[in-house]
Amino acid sequence: MLTAVVIQSGSAFTVHLVKSDTTVPANPTAEQTTSTDAQPISAVPISAVPISAVPISAVPISAVPISGEVVKPGPSPIAPELKEVAWGGGSFVVFAVLMRFWLFPRLKKGMDARYAGIRSDHEGAEATRSAAKAEVAGYEAQLAGVKAEAAAHIDAVRQTLETERTARLAVVNAEIAEHRNAAAAENDAARLAVQSQIESAVADVSGRAIELAVGKRPDVTLVNRVVADVMGAGATR
Amino acid sequence: MLGLEFPPINEILRWQDLTNSFNKISLIAVAAAIIGSLVFLLAGSKDAAVAPTGIRNLAETSVEFIEDSVIMQTMGKEGLPWTPFLLSLFIFILLCNSTGIVPIIQMPATARIAIPLFLSLLVWIVFIGTGLKHQKIRYFTNLLWPPGVPVALKPLVGLIEFFSTIIVRPLSLTVRLFANMLAGHILLVTFALLSEAMFEAKTHVPLLNIGGILPFFMLVFLTAFEVLVVFLQAYIFTILTAVYIGSSTHAEH
Amino acid sequence: MEAISHVVAAGLTGDEQKKANAAIGAGFAYGIAAIGPGIGIGYIVGKSVEAMARQPEAAGMVRTTMFLGIAFTEALALIGFVVFILIGL
Repeated sequence: MLTAVVIQSGSAFTVHLVKSDTTVPANPTAEQTTSTDAQPISAVPISAVPISAVPISAVPISAVPISGEVVKPGPSPIAPELKEVAWGGGSFVVFAVLMRFWLFPRLKKGMDARYAGIRSDHEGAEATRSAAKAEVAGYEAQLAGVKAEAAAHIDAVRQTLETERTARLAVVNAEIAEHRNAAAAENDAARLAVQSQIESAVADVSGRAIELAVGKRPDVTLVNRVVADVMGAGATR
Repeated sequence: MLGLEFPPINEILRWQDLTNSFNKISLIAVAAAIIGSLVFLLAGSKDAAVAPTGIRNLAETSVEFIEDSVIMQTMGKEGLPWTPFLLSLFIFILLCNSTGIVPIIQMPATARIAIPLFLSLLVWIVFIGTGLKHQKIRYFTNLLWPPGVPVALKPLVGLIEFFSTIIVRPLSLTVRLFANMLAGHILLVTFALLSEAMFEAKTHVPLLNIGGILPFFMLVFLTAFEVLVVFLQAYIFTILTAVYIGSSTHAEH
Repeated sequence: MEAISHVVAAGLTGDEQKKANAAIGAGFAYGIAAIGPGIGIGYIVGKSVEAMARQPEAAGMVRTTMFLGIAFTEALALIGFVVFILIGL
């Protein structure tokens, strides 16, 4: 069975066809080198190489490419190689020890210092904020006191104004009532006077009319009484 | 038969040895340790008082990531002393993983089993050691028979707990990291090879070679997906370590 | 599976046939190993999304637990993948 092995080295690809056989490991039966400008891979038809026809010793050793990376059977891919374990493990242990005792503490110290600084700054800002809040609360309390005082003042003034107003109103009302009473008395007096005048006039006229009609002068007191009765009836009606 | 043969697994995984005892995987691991140290070294030497920028910001973000979303979620406040260990674990795995998506390098160091195996054995030792330190020898009895198990069930529960804690935990940690990275690497190799083969294939209509751009797009997309996997695997390894350590500090199960 | 291996193995002999069978077996091994974890991970993520939608304030905790669950479930598929590498390649 032929296997094409492609090895990249820089821009050049080396392809060699090897017969990967377990009995004769890594023995090239045919090889060919292609560069990027050389023939493509498939230029050599694999089936065209007669495997059995080419004796293994017929290929000169010098024909193996200079790159030297021929297929070695090597250990199984999952078997660890001692040198890799040693170098890899050694470099990790050195790295881990360096980190543990030197590099990490140095970095961490700086980080912690900065975080502590940030935290203290935060706390300072928090304290300032709470102080400002307390101040605002005090100011608001003061404001409320002043407001209450002002309201009390206003209430007191309003109270006095109210009492003053009612007192003044009472005085004025009393005056008005007095005036009204006086006017009513005057009115009554005038009416009585007018009434008596009218009565006398009516009695006079009635007496004269009766005298004219009867020829005899009626009793003045009688006439007066009759007139007064009639007018009283008219006044009450 | 298509003109595409997949290379054997050793070819895509086993890098040329630089010397007999040092290969490129070792180089990547060493480089990861050096880069990680360098990042934290530079980050630590910057002024800590001002708001972090650049490399210090990166380092502090990773520290806070480990503290907030790994330790606080699994161990709580008393797990915070574990931050340096978990942080170096996370950074190291992340850097070793991420070489798989860096162009030119394109080989995750954790796709070889050596590093995951070592790390999970280390974690295994650490969590058993933590258990012994916190609960003395009762750790093993608490481990095998969680409090409140009926006597009749003790042999069965003990067997299951022994397997799941002592054997399956390190094994699954190793295999999870290693196999995820290896699978991602094989996927990327597959699409790169397919794309190359389609570009270079000799067809009757040369225009068809442009079709090779389709697997190439897939390759780009998968590389973006690998970015997620790289991060996620480092995160999962770290958080599982935190869970294991947290579970051995307390007797409850 | 056997029929496929017969077709593939036509013209191969001995060792090659064995390798072909191993490759086919490996493919099936990983394919079957991926079924259960696939269903499981889908279930976990679906339920987690449901939980996060119901209680967005608990999203961080749910996400952490979800990743843990995925990690444990995925291990099965990955063991299948390792088996695939062991016997197939």
